[in-house]
Amino acid sequence: MQNFIEEVKEKIIETLYLEDVQKDDIDVDAPLVGGDLGIDSIDVLELVMMIESDYGVIIDNKELGEKVFSSLRSLAEYIQSNRSAS
Amino acid sequence: MKFKLIYPKWSKMERQTEFHLPPHGPVVFAAALPEDIDVEFTDENVEPINFDDPPAFVGISMMLTIQVRRGLEIADIFRKKGVKVIFGGIATMLHAEEVMQHADAVFLGEAEGRMTEVFNDFRNNRLRRVYDYLNEQPPIERVGTARRDILNRDLYNYKGIQMVDLVHASRGCRFNCYPCAVAYLGGRKFRPRPIDKAIAEMASIDNNRLFIVDNSLAQDTQWEMDLFREMIPLKKKWCSHPIEDNPKVLDLAAQAGAWYVYQAVFDTSQYIRDRIKRYHDHGIGVEGTILLGLDTHTEDFIKEFIDFLLEIELDLAEFTVLTPFPHTRAFEKLQSEGRIFTYDWDKYTADQVVFHPKHISAERLDELLSYAWDTFYKSESQQMKMSRLYQKVIAKEKADNSYTPRKRELVRQAFGQKIR
Repeated sequence: MQNFIEEVKEKIIETLYLEDVQKDDIDVDAPLVGGDLGIDSIDVLELVMMIESDYGVIIDNKELGEKVFSSLRSLAEYIQSNRSAS
Repeated sequence: MKFKLIYPKWSKMERQTEFHLPPHGPVVFAAALPEDIDVEFTDENVEPINFDDPPAFVGISMMLTIQVRRGLEIADIFRKKGVKVIFGGIATMLHAEEVMQHADAVFLGEAEGRMTEVFNDFRNNRLRRVYDYLNEQPPIERVGTARRDILNRDLYNYKGIQMVDLVHASRGCRFNCYPCAVAYLGGRKFRPRPIDKAIAEMASIDNNRLFIVDNSLAQDTQWEMDLFREMIPLKKKWCSHPIEDNPKVLDLAAQAGAWYVYQAVFDTSQYIRDRIKRYHDHGIGVEGTILLGLDTHTEDFIKEFIDFLLEIELDLAEFTVLTPFPHTRAFEKLQSEGRIFTYDWDKYTADQVVFHPKHISAERLDELLSYAWDTFYKSESQQMKMSRLYQKVIAKEKADNSYTPRKRELVRQAFGQKIR
C-alpha cells in the first residue's frame, strides 16, 4: 500500500502541475481538499478524470467524492480496492 | 490623446452562476480607433471607475438594456466635470433617444472606418449629437482583430481558470426571430468575415478557449464548413450559438473543437429531440436557452416542457422570460396590444416579467420561472452539470495535447477579488 500511496502522490502532483509541492509535503491523513496543498474543488474534478482514465475507477457523485477525497490514504485505498475488484 | 472607454456594470440574473466574460463590443470598437488615441478601458463589472483625473474624452459602450441607466449616471458625472461623453454599442442603438439626453454624442452603427471623423470633430469642438450609420455598414473586410490588449486579463479569471475569449466571424443575420433585435442592429443580410481574417484573429488570442459570438453560425453552409476546416489546426475549444443541423457540418465543427452550443429550445417536438441528440452524437454539449412566456405558453405546456428538457438530457439550461427589448418584433406586438406594464429598463433583466403574458398572470410566470430552474436542477445541481461540461473540455484538450493548466497563483481569486 505504501508504494501505491507514493504513486498516487506523484499522480496528484503531475495532474495538478503542483510545481512547488514535493511528495513529502503531502500528509497522507490530512484533509486532501482545502488544506495546505491548496487543492480545491476544481482540482478534484481533474483528479476524478485522472483516476478514471488511469485506473478505470469512477467517482461520479458528490457524496462519494467527499468521502474518497477526505485524505490521500482514503483516496488510495478507494482506488486500490475498486481497481482490484474490477 | 487619452480616451477613457467604460463598460457600465449590471446585476446578473438571480439564478445564473455569477461570472464575467471579457466584453467584446469595447475591444472590437477599440480596434477601429485612430492609432494616436490612447485608450484606457474600465469594465465596471470587475473594477471601479476612477472618476478623478478626468480624461479629455469619455466613451461609454453598452451592450445590454440593463446597462443603460447606469451608463447615463456615469455620463452625468463626467459631464458635470466638463468632460465630453460619447455613447455607442448595441444598447445605445436600442435606446438612442433616451441616451441622447445624457450625451454629447451618440454613435449608432458599426465603428470601422468612422472614428477618424468622430475624433477630428471632437478635437475641433464640433462633435455632432448623432452619428447615425445604422444602415450604412462598413465593408465586412474592414473588421480587424479586436484590441484585447486593453483588457486586464486577470480580471476575467476564476480560481486560475481563464474565461473564454470572445470573437466573431460574421455579422448580421438573415433570420428575424421574434424576441431578437439583431435584424435592427446588424441588418438582415448575413455578412461573413473573410475566413483568413477570422482565423488569424482566433490564432492571435492567447487563450485555448473561445466563445464564437456570431448570432448563428448556421447561415451559409459552405462558409461555415470552410471556417471549421480552417479552424481545425488551431486546436481551439469553443462554444457558440447554433451550428447547422447537418452531419457534415457537425462533424467538421467537432473536429474544429466545438465544445458546446447555446441552443434555443422552443417546443417539445421530435425534431428538437433529434437535433440535441445529433449534437451529442458528435460530442458537442448543449446548453438550452429557454424562453418562457410566449403567447403559446400555458402553465401545462411550461411544466411538460421542463420534463421534456430533462428527457433530452441537455447539459445545462438557462431559463429566462420573454423580454420585449425595443426594436424587436416582440416589443412591437406587446406594445401595440398594451401589454407592456413597465419601461423601467433596470427591470429588463430577462428574469423579471415586464409584460402581461397571454395565458397566465405575470406573477404566475415569475413563479413558473423559479419552478423551471428548481425542477431542471433538482436531481443534479447546476454546479455539478457545469462540472461535467468543464470535464468535457479538459478531456478534449488532453486528447489533442492543447490542455493548459490553470494559473495556480490565481486560485484564490475570482474575477480580481480575493476569495477565502
